[in-house]
Amino acid sequence: MLIMKNISKVFQTADIQTHALRDFNLTVNEGDFVSVTGPSGSGKTTFLNIAGLLETYTSGEFTLDGENIGQLNDNGRSRMRNHKIGFIFQSFNLIPDLNLFDNVDVPLRYRGFNAKERKRRIEENLERVGLASRMKHLPSQLSGGQQQRVAIARALATDPRFLLADEPTGNLDSEMAQSVMSLLEDINKQGTTIVMVTHDAQLAQRSPRTIQVMDGRVSELNLHLATDNQQAIA
Amino acid sequence: MFTYYLRLAWISIIRHWGLSLVMICAIGLGIGAAMTTITVNYLMSANPIPHKSEQLFFVQLDSWDVNEPFDEGVNPPDQLTYTDSTNLMKANKAFRQNVQAQAYGVIEPDDSDLLPINVSARANSADFFTMFDVPFIYGSAWSQQSDIAKEQVIVLSKKINDQIFGGEDSVGKTIKFDNNIFKIIGVIDHWQPKPRFYDITTGAFNESEDVFVPFSLIAEEKVRRSGNTNCWKPSGDGMAAFLAGECIWTQFWVELKSEQEKQDYMTFLNAYVEEQKQYGRFERPLNNRLSNVMQWLENQEVVADDARMMMAMSLMFLTVCLLNTIGLLLAKFLGKAPEIGLRQALGASKATLFSQYMIESACIGFAGGLLGLGLSFLGLIGIENLYGDYMQGLATLDITMMTFAIVLALVCTVIAGIYPTWRACNISPAQQLKSQ
Repeated sequence: MLIMKNISKVFQTADIQTHALRDFNLTVNEGDFVSVTGPSGSGKTTFLNIAGLLETYTSGEFTLDGENIGQLNDNGRSRMRNHKIGFIFQSFNLIPDLNLFDNVDVPLRYRGFNAKERKRRIEENLERVGLASRMKHLPSQLSGGQQQRVAIARALATDPRFLLADEPTGNLDSEMAQSVMSLLEDINKQGTTIVMVTHDAQLAQRSPRTIQVMDGRVSELNLHLATDNQQAIA
Repeated sequence: MFTYYLRLAWISIIRHWGLSLVMICAIGLGIGAAMTTITVNYLMSANPIPHKSEQLFFVQLDSWDVNEPFDEGVNPPDQLTYTDSTNLMKANKAFRQNVQAQAYGVIEPDDSDLLPINVSARANSADFFTMFDVPFIYGSAWSQQSDIAKEQVIVLSKKINDQIFGGEDSVGKTIKFDNNIFKIIGVIDHWQPKPRFYDITTGAFNESEDVFVPFSLIAEEKVRRSGNTNCWKPSGDGMAAFLAGECIWTQFWVELKSEQEKQDYMTFLNAYVEEQKQYGRFERPLNNRLSNVMQWLENQEVVADDARMMMAMSLMFLTVCLLNTIGLLLAKFLGKAPEIGLRQALGASKATLFSQYMIESACIGFAGGLLGLGLSFLGLIGIENLYGDYMQGLATLDITMMTFAIVLALVCTVIAGIYPTWRACNISPAQQLKSQ
């Protein structure tokens, strides 16, 4: 479903070339829950940005859900992001000026759903993360954990095939982190493919599959046998 | 999506009200200054009779001194002598023709409770009213026969009719004008062409006259003439000598329906001047002119140089305001870079974001336009007070100019918003999301 072959990414400044990814090869199948670990500067976030079509790659082949990403223009990439990918960020990235309802509404607007359908999806997903009663609140009126739940609701509102999470528990205390992780596990059980970048080894252990990125390459691949279903996939 | 973008723009303007207010004020000041001067120029250069301005022609004949040409020979004199005007009237070669001059007098109302009224008057021939589409409330214009018969008839303005007769139909009544009894044959509605094209020599923006009387009564000394008078050759004493002299003080207009009629009339004018040369007049080379309304206004430089200068300066001021707005919009939109990156991540294309932020720019422009409109009203009142009678009634914003003010504000702000929006939309989303 997500196939990267020999992907490389070079950041070029006036004097320096930095190889963020080198011959990066990875296949993520439908329904996977993959944790991506590695030291700072190893290329985890660059990988996630390329996987989320937020950044272009220098060379290689990248196929997402059967589409060759290299051939897509800005509109095509935007459509792919909106239709197939959900994002969860470390710092939640909610729009501070909009209330929860409007924050979750953002990707649905770009999808072109009518008002009734948008309302249904917003209420359903805020209900799912336990914040339906606070949909008129501004993000600043919520705790960090609650904000991350809103971000998850927003990511899920468009029914994405992929959920890309960049340190989703990085700004949360351990209790909140466990709660968010449990939520992600539930989402994965319902069929959404999740790729999660994390520094937290314990959280990574909870995912059925972990890859380690080192110097821009997938240097280690661990397969956990967490559940029967995922054991079969592995 | 349009209403969604409007809502987002509203939220953004309210949440960042300080910055938004500064931008709205900058645009408002620029638009206010520009619209004040543009309005003055627009009204000064407006076509006062658009449906027939191409058919009305002001006649100029160069009867001036051969040794000291009028306007150094560039333009023929801007008025005609009584001799030439009356000769052209008698020739009756145009579809319609009108000789006129400024006049004045005193009306003594029959009602002893009313004081005598000093009035401005226009002495003109019958076609004046038809040629210039003067609207009547009561009665009608006098006829050419009345001109020839030198009948003491008078047409009142609405203002004078209201003042003396309380707005009633006064047609058929008589009135004492300059010690002579005149029969009222018509009352015109409010009529104020801007510029007052039919006689620029006595002020392009003066009010139209209080009363209208036949031109032929000047020679009878039943009406006192006024206005600009220039003579290059001394005339003898007395009215008859003055009328026969080389003094210019009458204006002559003709209505010609086609280019052919215009050419024919010019041929006639040239023949007339050639004929007059035989009597020792018109010693200068042929220099006759037929100028339509707009050509005549241009020739007479109705739009004052200082008004043009003010407009140029105010447009420069608007440019400065817009440059400031560009900077402020840049600061605002780049400050929204994280949100822009996030929206891209959630599926917004660059084109979508560009639309969203251009609409926000337009909303700021619209608010600035409204503020500018208010400031324009104040500016025009200021100009009216500054220039006094010259600008009286001229400095007003009509619906066209109000619409123009809003459109100008929108266009300017949208143009000002293009660069900041383009910059903001080209920010790498990955970089922004990372920097959060």
